[in-house]
Amino acid sequence: MGRYQLSANDLQFAREFLASPIGYHSPGLQRVLNRMRGADWAFKYVLVVERRHARWRLGRMPLKRGSAIEMVEDVVYTDLLEAERDIFRRRWKDLTARPLDLGSDDAA
Amino acid sequence: MLPIVAYLDKLTVAPGERLAVMAGSFGAHTYRADLRRIIQGDTNPQGPGYKDEAIALDLGGERPAEAKGFYPGSCVVVPGRGMLSNLDDFTLAAVASPTLLDERERTVIAMPGFARIGIDAEGHVFAEALGRRLATTGRVTRNMWHVLSLAYSGGDGRLTLSISAESDAAGEDGQLEAISVPATAAPSGATEILIAATRGPNGRPGTFFDGKIDRPALFSAAVAHDTLRRLLADFERLSRTRNLRAAWDFSRKISTQTICDVSPFQLHGRIHNAPARAMTGWLWKGQDLDWKKRPDLYSAIHFHSTDMYDAAWTVDFTFTVPEGLGSGVYAVRLVPDGDEEAAYYCVFALRPPREQASGNTVAFLFPTCSYLAYANHRLGMDVPGTEIGMGRAVELDRHHMFLQANPGIGFSVYETHDDESGVFHSSRLRPIVDLQPKVRSFLGGFGSNVWQFNADTHILGWLDHIGQHYDVITDEDLHAEGLQLLGRYNVILTGTHPEYHTGNMIAALQGFTDRGGRLMYLGGNGFYWVVSFSEDMPGIMECRRSEAGIRPWEPGHGQFYHAFTGEYGGLWRRNGRPPNHLCGVGMTSQGFDICEPYVLSPAARDPRAAFIFEGLSKTAKIGDFGLAGGGAAGLEVDRADAAQGTPAHALVLASSTRHTDIYLMTPEDLLDPTPDWSGTQADIIRADLTFFETAGGGAVFSTGSIAWAGSMAWNGYENEIAYITANVLRRFDNPDRFRMPGGREDGQPVETRSTES
Ligand SMILES: [Fe+2]
Repeated sequence: MGRYQLSANDLQFAREFLASPIGYHSPGLQRVLNRMRGADWAFKYVLVVERRHARWRLGRMPLKRGSAIEMVEDVVYTDLLEAERDIFRRRWKDLTARPLDLGSDDAA
Repeated sequence: MLPIVAYLDKLTVAPGERLAVMAGSFGAHTYRADLRRIIQGDTNPQGPGYKDEAIALDLGGERPAEAKGFYPGSCVVVPGRGMLSNLDDFTLAAVASPTLLDERERTVIAMPGFARIGIDAEGHVFAEALGRRLATTGRVTRNMWHVLSLAYSGGDGRLTLSISAESDAAGEDGQLEAISVPATAAPSGATEILIAATRGPNGRPGTFFDGKIDRPALFSAAVAHDTLRRLLADFERLSRTRNLRAAWDFSRKISTQTICDVSPFQLHGRIHNAPARAMTGWLWKGQDLDWKKRPDLYSAIHFHSTDMYDAAWTVDFTFTVPEGLGSGVYAVRLVPDGDEEAAYYCVFALRPPREQASGNTVAFLFPTCSYLAYANHRLGMDVPGTEIGMGRAVELDRHHMFLQANPGIGFSVYETHDDESGVFHSSRLRPIVDLQPKVRSFLGGFGSNVWQFNADTHILGWLDHIGQHYDVITDEDLHAEGLQLLGRYNVILTGTHPEYHTGNMIAALQGFTDRGGRLMYLGGNGFYWVVSFSEDMPGIMECRRSEAGIRPWEPGHGQFYHAFTGEYGGLWRRNGRPPNHLCGVGMTSQGFDICEPYVLSPAARDPRAAFIFEGLSKTAKIGDFGLAGGGAAGLEVDRADAAQGTPAHALVLASSTRHTDIYLMTPEDLLDPTPDWSGTQADIIRADLTFFETAGGGAVFSTGSIAWAGSMAWNGYENEIAYITANVLRRFDNPDRFRMPGGREDGQPVETRSTES
């Protein structure tokens, strides 16, 4: 797991994801997502439901079963697609050590 | 989180019978209980809306909410019956294979207050007796058998701890370490023996062992370690040894809770919290793979500090379910401290009266085996790949947060224990926090994201919407009563994901359709896994995931046969009851992101299927909408396949024609992995909407998709998926026999056909 390394070649897939976070993806984007969502993390980003279908807080769930879920301060979502985009940006930064910068076409 | 959780003593009850309610406070001070009929549990604002109905029944006023805990961990308890004294000289012994070593001290065998052998936090074997504590310098190895013994001889006044590691390499003698200290004899005040635990200060078993233990024994003499090894390897000689006080052969009465002593004293014991029995022992080297043929090789029990059978909470109150109340799905609702938002729902099925039919001709088969399989499941929390399968981040609802904080509640058969061995058992004698309305899930697809029970309420809500009278019967009822129970009905409807079945259940359903019954399989990945109930332990279910199937673990080499029944575990497809034979379709793929419409095939115009589409304008696509992933075909999907038993005359009316690349093949079909087996590439990844008649005048309608019901509930149950389902239900409820195509009728010779696909 985790062999694939993100690089500038993946910026096209970042664009593709931000345009449509859920559903059909190109094989290149799917590979980026597999890397981001795969097993080799010390923690997982999770969406802690505050109001069902309406409000979520961002949490970090440690690997060890039964660990307390750390809440990320002041991050609240009211839309699941926005939550996906935000988590994607956070992981991009975690994996490349740089914020996701899509230049002028970075709409969000 | 959940300020109060609870469970009932049964998941199915008949009118006039009693239910007991066990509630535990996790913050609540008081609660009030009432009875609700559950009609539709999904709270998605895009859906038909949550709906239940208050039942006028006084369940008492405000009650105090008592804190109650979870006490997982399995062991054996042997009452001493006065036979644990006169042990001036003694040897306490066991063969053990640890599967988890961590910072905890663990007990292998204990005579509380007298002697104990265990493994310390560093992996050294230790022993305590006669006021002394000894420990080896060597460490035990995970997954290796070790013979452990603690012996005291008054003659030389020495207490000796010996261990030998039993290498699996052929013929090698185990390496021995022995430590000896001077000690003075003292009387044994022990009144019991515990195996894999000792008695904790709170009076409960504690310091549980994770791993296998085989043939523990107690002698009233100091036995040299080599002699001991030879004796333990031969139960016949061992049982005749003059100084033997007790020796437990776990291969006897494997299917029960009883532990048999082979000594003449008959110091029998019982298991606690359902550890795994029928497990390969010290002497198993692959000689046989079926414990029924060589039980002597299956003399180990695999204990886990995380095993849970019966939470054994004290009863808060009991009540009688009123005689006049109609069959249906109900819940005892517990409202803590006046906060309805925080209510806990103890869901149960009110089945029809036992002795007489209710008069209803339609029944919903409430899939309690599948609910049990998923009970308190932690897929999104424990399995990192879940997020990839969902195609989006995991959502944690309140009950998930409760599970994360309370792993002691016990697992589902989707989890592994802390030693990474599979969880074989799931029990209903504990709160099942995901068996509630309103809860969100992991696998329900983008949209409502409901699973199992809450997803099934889309079907209950639709039945209510169309004014259909129906009974609710459960898997447990079907297992116990078989075809006699099904024989009351014209039509049986399944839930969205009836994945787990006992042999009795499959045989009854097959017998039902063969004899003219009508089955509406409104789900996906149905009739997939073999499960067994225990005749000795009500409320617990066993599942061993052998050889194939999409599965979170394997049961371990040589351990594919169920302990409860001796049945071969795994897929029904490998056990002579393929789902395709019963319902025309069988599991082909899964993905938990989005779902698709079905595209009608030419078979949809076959006159045999005319009743299904009656009154509908035939568009090319059906179900391009829904609460589960936005389509009627998806999540888990089944295909028709003659090679797997789909009847040759079955009509595949419609199929999904693409899925995302999250949908991949099942291991049982992916014999040679190549990268083209994915949802955008492989035609085999599809849901087949299937219909066929049976020679006995019955019929089967299968959606082959979990998401179907999420489309039924779309637009207030007013849509073509709901209408198709209603058309089928109407015709299926009409007792007029279905005719086989080509004049094949009951009593006539059946034409033999080739089974080319
Ligand atoms: Fe499943």
